[in-house]
Amino acid sequence: MATISFRSLMLFSAVLRLFLIIYGEWQDTHMEVRYTDVDYLVFSDAASLMALGKSPYERSTYRYSPLIAFLLIPNALIHRTWGKILFSVSDLLVGYFIRTILKLRGVPENLCTYSVMAWLLNPFTFTIGTRGNCEPIVCAMVLWIIICLMNGNLLHAAFWYGLIVHLRIYPIIYAFPIILTLDQSHFQSGKKPILTDWISSKIQSTNGSGSIKVTDPCHIWVSLKSMFTRGRILFGLISAAVFFFCTGFFFYLYAWEFLHEALLYHLTRTDPRHNFSIYFYHIYLHYEHEFALSEKLISFLPQVMVQLVLIWRFAQDLPFCFFLQTLAFVAFNKVITAQYFVWFFCLLPLVLPWTNMKLKWEGWACILFWIGAQSHWLMWGYLLEFNGKHVFMQLWMASLLFLAANTYVMVTFILRHTSSPVFKQLEHGHSNISTKID
Amino acid sequence: HFTGIQQFKLQLSLRLVIALYFFAGIGWCKHASTINEVGSCNSNFNDSNPSSSVNEFITEAYFEKHASLIDSDFRGFISKEIPLEFCEVLQDKLEPVPKLSISHRHLIGEGSHRHLSSSIRLEIQPSSKFTLPAHFCDAILVERLPSGVFADPFELQHLLQRGVFTSAAFFGDTNLELPSVRSNRSIVEIHMDIGPDILSGNNNGMEINIEVPLHARYAPLGEHGFSRIEFSAPDLFTGCSFEGKSHKQSCIFLSTNKSLELKAGAVVWDVPCGIKEHTGIVSVVTFFSAIVSALLVVFTAFRYSDTTGCNNLKQM
Repeated sequence: MATISFRSLMLFSAVLRLFLIIYGEWQDTHMEVRYTDVDYLVFSDAASLMALGKSPYERSTYRYSPLIAFLLIPNALIHRTWGKILFSVSDLLVGYFIRTILKLRGVPENLCTYSVMAWLLNPFTFTIGTRGNCEPIVCAMVLWIIICLMNGNLLHAAFWYGLIVHLRIYPIIYAFPIILTLDQSHFQSGKKPILTDWISSKIQSTNGSGSIKVTDPCHIWVSLKSMFTRGRILFGLISAAVFFFCTGFFFYLYAWEFLHEALLYHLTRTDPRHNFSIYFYHIYLHYEHEFALSEKLISFLPQVMVQLVLIWRFAQDLPFCFFLQTLAFVAFNKVITAQYFVWFFCLLPLVLPWTNMKLKWEGWACILFWIGAQSHWLMWGYLLEFNGKHVFMQLWMASLLFLAANTYVMVTFILRHTSSPVFKQLEHGHSNISTKID
Repeated sequence: HFTGIQQFKLQLSLRLVIALYFFAGIGWCKHASTINEVGSCNSNFNDSNPSSSVNEFITEAYFEKHASLIDSDFRGFISKEIPLEFCEVLQDKLEPVPKLSISHRHLIGEGSHRHLSSSIRLEIQPSSKFTLPAHFCDAILVERLPSGVFADPFELQHLLQRGVFTSAAFFGDTNLELPSVRSNRSIVEIHMDIGPDILSGNNNGMEINIEVPLHARYAPLGEHGFSRIEFSAPDLFTGCSFEGKSHKQSCIFLSTNKSLELKAGAVVWDVPCGIKEHTGIVSVVTFFSAIVSALLVVFTAFRYSDTTGCNNLKQM
């Protein structure tokens, strides 16, 4: 297989995104079906209102932090494609950060490049930014937090973590694994954490020798006992302070409208309209009467159960834990839209170098099952929404199949993963030497 | 290779960008005055072309006095309040008003997103002539949308910007996501310029075609899988304006219901709806599937072996 340089890959990806942005402008002008996501029009309108000194929430369906609208003010001042360019640059930054993380762990150059290709050349990812969706910014921030942690910059990691939870809320699920990782055996004052590199993982794997315990119960117990370490307290305080500062500041500016639209709406959202979630039809059939508390709790049970077990088993292998958690969070959520998929797509390249899954045929099975189940759902969705056929039952069964596909992917990745905790145990008196990087 | 120096430079760059953004944003927010205003779309939306004949909206006047759309209230409002404003002065000179009638009305498209097409026939007697100089008239179509159907005000604004309508107003429930049972009715008012030809008597008749894009909400649950939505006949008005001594004055007439002929049958839209009978089985299977999937993941995580056996990592 010909070697592709990272530089060439980035250049090609940048040109591709630029082309799609230009093409999108042409399609919006000349065709009835727009290329641009409707959310981008919402962002742009909210940004224009903000530029006039008004509340972005005067734009109905704007359900994001005012920071997003603020970033897009140049849409009104310079050109309407500003936001798309910003999101596409973030998209490229994600690719750069993926390589950074993999290089920090000593992954060989070729493997790095192919892993990065899994993001940069993924059709989901290069269309989402160029269509005007803001998720690439969120993905870039998640990866930046991982980089900060790997470099021992707890303060920076905490700052960005507080900010990202304010922006998108779902990263709150990463709180526990991060806290568990901030162990005194990994992070000590004045010392840079030592990373487990890819080479040593491979050696241990080929030797079949004893496992690097990912997270055994004894380790969890020790971690819990020494929960209140300096690093954890600092991280918690700073991230909470940033989150509450942002929330408080915007509440001061925009009052309850901000709180409801940007935060509470997402926490309590139940959408009876068709989406990928298995719960949509159940919610629609019960929409005329309120859900009982027991019904609400039961629907949360699978999500909570999976999240807790994944954290307990894989917290030390932070990127892998993040990946599984995000995939599970999306799969078991009450509402699933296509933009949520990039939340775990940006983490997938971080786990690929540690999987024993070969593309032929386990990899292809995952890809085809997942895409096939999604396409199957989309077919029924099209028949319902654009042809007016009564296919609610078929569409709901298609969503069950999609959950099965997500479960299959999760199970396969777990079974084929080579455990690799990110951080090695520090010993007192060791010098600060990072792992050898190619 | 991401060295400490490179990381520091990247962090510094990010901080500078954020700071620049912050200060630039504060500056622009304080002094922005040249940006075109975007129509705010809280509960109502109306937008006029500056050259529109009539800038008043009937529905706006209605909602100033009524909290929600009720057909009987609206009919009462029309009978009492129309003609509006200065029509006593104008009526002598403008009689007879152009005769409006619906020649054709139907729904275009399939699925949940359609266009309600109304063809309005406009006729004026050759003998009558407007005697006022420099006047303009609009044909005004008011669609009282039935429950279960809504118009997207931002879509209407987009059509307005493309010049499809002369002006448009939307009042009512702008929450596009709610199903029928939780939403209120809404009303759309469209103004279309009649044009000078017919007013000057050069043209005895013309036809105006108006297509209003509509979307179906999720319908109430039913027994048979489809919920029927029926559209009532629209209300047609003529609005004319002229330059008064000090400012532009306008007048709106009801196109008399004697002349309003709806030749086409009632327009109906069958929207797929959930079936009540499905409730039990859907709930049970949904929760069962979620629990089984969750248990599969949990079981796999517990069974996860830290050793990889004789499988190797990817070799490159």
